[in-house]
Amino acid sequence: MVNVIDYVPGDTLLHRLNPVTKLGIAAAIIIATFLADTYPMLLGLLVLTFALGAYARATSKLVSLLKLLVPLAVVMLLLQTAFVRGGDPVFAWMTTDGLVTGSKACLRLLGVALPLILMLSVTKLNDLANACVEVLHIPYRYAFTFTTALRFVPVFSQEMNAIMEAQTARGVEYDTKNPIRKLQLMLPLCVPLLVSSVGKTDATALAAEQRGFYLRMRESSFKRYPMVGRDMAVLVACVALVVAGVLL
Amino acid sequence: MTAREEKPIIEMTHVTFSYDAPAEGGAENNDDAALRDVSLIIGAGEFVGVIGPSGAGKSTLASVMSGAIPHHYHGTLYGATLVDGHDTCDVTLTDISQVVGSVLQDIDTQMVASVVEDEMLFGLENFGVPHDQIEARVAQTLETVGISNLRDREIATLSGGQKQKVAIAAILAMRPRVLVLDEPTAALDPASSTLVFETLRKVREEGVTVVVIEQKVALLSEYCDRILVMSKGALVLDGTPREVFSHGDELRRIGVDSPRVARVYNSLAKDGLVAGTAPCLTVPEAEKLITDLVQPETKTSCHVASAEEDARESGFRAGSKHVAAPRPHAEGAEPVVSLEDVSFAYPGGTASVDHLDMRVFPGEVVGIVGQNGAGKTTLTKLLNGLLRPAFGTVRMAGLDTREVPTSAIAAHCATLFQNPDYQLCKDTVLEEVSFGLTLQGVDENDARESAGAVIERFGLPADEAPFSLSRGQRQMVALASVAVMEPEVVLLDEPTSGLDYRECMTVMDTVSDMAERGCAVIMVCHDMEVVSDFAERIVVMANGRILDRGGTLEMFSNAPLMREASVKAPQVIELSEALAHDLSPEFAGISQVSGIVDLTEKMVRRG
Repeated sequence: MVNVIDYVPGDTLLHRLNPVTKLGIAAAIIIATFLADTYPMLLGLLVLTFALGAYARATSKLVSLLKLLVPLAVVMLLLQTAFVRGGDPVFAWMTTDGLVTGSKACLRLLGVALPLILMLSVTKLNDLANACVEVLHIPYRYAFTFTTALRFVPVFSQEMNAIMEAQTARGVEYDTKNPIRKLQLMLPLCVPLLVSSVGKTDATALAAEQRGFYLRMRESSFKRYPMVGRDMAVLVACVALVVAGVLL
Repeated sequence: MTAREEKPIIEMTHVTFSYDAPAEGGAENNDDAALRDVSLIIGAGEFVGVIGPSGAGKSTLASVMSGAIPHHYHGTLYGATLVDGHDTCDVTLTDISQVVGSVLQDIDTQMVASVVEDEMLFGLENFGVPHDQIEARVAQTLETVGISNLRDREIATLSGGQKQKVAIAAILAMRPRVLVLDEPTAALDPASSTLVFETLRKVREEGVTVVVIEQKVALLSEYCDRILVMSKGALVLDGTPREVFSHGDELRRIGVDSPRVARVYNSLAKDGLVAGTAPCLTVPEAEKLITDLVQPETKTSCHVASAEEDARESGFRAGSKHVAAPRPHAEGAEPVVSLEDVSFAYPGGTASVDHLDMRVFPGEVVGIVGQNGAGKTTLTKLLNGLLRPAFGTVRMAGLDTREVPTSAIAAHCATLFQNPDYQLCKDTVLEEVSFGLTLQGVDENDARESAGAVIERFGLPADEAPFSLSRGQRQMVALASVAVMEPEVVLLDEPTSGLDYRECMTVMDTVSDMAERGCAVIMVCHDMEVVSDFAERIVVMANGRILDRGGTLEMFSNAPLMREASVKAPQVIELSEALAHDLSPEFAGISQVSGIVDLTEKMVRRG
């Protein structure tokens, strides 16, 4: 879980694309997933995501995320079947309409979450920030905030782990089998975690300022992120994908 | 001293500063100035060390030098600080940071990128270094710091020492004229700490002024050419390492340790055996000093002393060694902790421990030493049940850790973690200390009563919020909540890191007391002086294996073993070994300053 957004090193076409193009791919798949309304298209988009993942050798990332998402998807399916009661009854309270809406909602959930993670795992965060500044003209401040937030996710989850280990060793029952009890025990720990994260953020701000953060301009980046032919080709394909989503 | 006559790069005159957040730092220092009337001049090209007990204002001093005060931290500032001739109040933080580069205490927060190369580029890009020079600068800086091979690595995958070097390199690439570092080796093992200081020495040779806050006196005395001693916000001593460490008694009163060899010298000087105020700072120097004292009288032939005399001597020495004699109940008793052929590997196969065997008896203090990554922390987690062995058995107070939940093991085995903040979670010290007892099902009132007694013994403020206390006091609160449990086993993970000398001694004395009462103590510790002072036995680990275990002295005297484990034996043991080898075998086996001093005096008198 900790390392879901870690960079997967590689030299595939997907790695070499402009980070903005990669965002474009993710966006196209996500939009298409929202617009699409047939099983073949929804499944097709998922297959596409996994094919890209396999190509970039990031399948393990997707699978580990899938493990987190599937329980969520199941809950969603059950809720949907409870709310949508049209059509013929199938089993207990479930009806055909309910199952159809529910299963599509599940597929959408997966189809929305996975592409973004895939693209983040084949892009270095700094490249993403710099490319967004250069190509999309996003102010560096926002790009920096965003990448720093992402970078802190594993830092905080490590911190949380350390706190939980320390408390378990003290005799707090974090090793309980009851998830609700565990959640109850975890809540009070949010305060120390928050205190330490505010401190860390402040230190980061200071460190960045001491390294000339406020002098940075759009041209500052040493690495350049031009949009080249292959980026354009991929973006055209992305538009086609969205159109397919509308049609199917 | 000579360096100070060079052109000053930082000049502070009568600087006084207080943070104006009374809610936070208020409890730490009653009179609220964090820095009071500090005047000093740092010349270009100096290598300056800053030392002092916690709360002495060392970090504040660093912030003033780097411009974070007055530009980032708010408070009341008097006096003037000139950096390269400009008053820090008149120029922006960005301008100051082109002269003074600072490496923060928590390097994780300093990092702005996830890959080493990007981390290096950040400052260069921002300060507008021409793009055609950037490549050469990055390559050259990485070369200077010795981490060219790490250029494409993810920062998250680096070790603590490597990260520290990346942090230094990233600042150095901007070519600051001064480098200010706040406790760069706090989280590092002795070998990596030395490497960091080697790096700083190289940086200094390139003409950069280095100011480093550090608690490890042996490193400071070896590498710095000037040491500033802070106490309660004021600058109390300022001079070369020899000048500073000749004030051994004064330093001790402030709460600052001295290198052990300097203590040997100071003790000899007090007894009138040596004259002058230039203590030795390294083991070879001390060896020469003692040899010169003893040698003129004792010709080698005269002291191939008889075996019987040696035997009698050893009795006298044991008395003066101050090492806790093996406690009687350690013999023949049942071990309270036992590991039998234990192996464990983390998923992903990144690290593992293999075939660990170990037994600990009630009332023993056992030290675990080894480099970072040797498997010490894994071993402690196997002991307190946070990890379960893949093979073999761990028995803790009669419980097989595979059969009982971690939270149940906690009733028998209390752990003091390196960072007390992970342990603290309550609103007042009293609640915090009684919390562990109530978790074990002790009645609320009884728990508070026992907690109150322990808090009183430790001299802690019962009604304060733990997080408002200083780092050292937070550690004491965490220790109090361990002590109140009266566990059969106490595990200490780096109990002294981040503490100053005085706090460190308080913590360790408390731990010794607990051992006296029959509690088994297992401690992982990088400070070999602490280990040799307090542990009776040590376990030496490297690469996930136990290399050897045995009496503290025996292990530390085993030079090949120490080399294999990359552990540096304490100075006194190194000294006594060297003396035993070159001067007289009588020195063999002395592990305390007083032992060396007594024997030297006796030999001088005898001669």
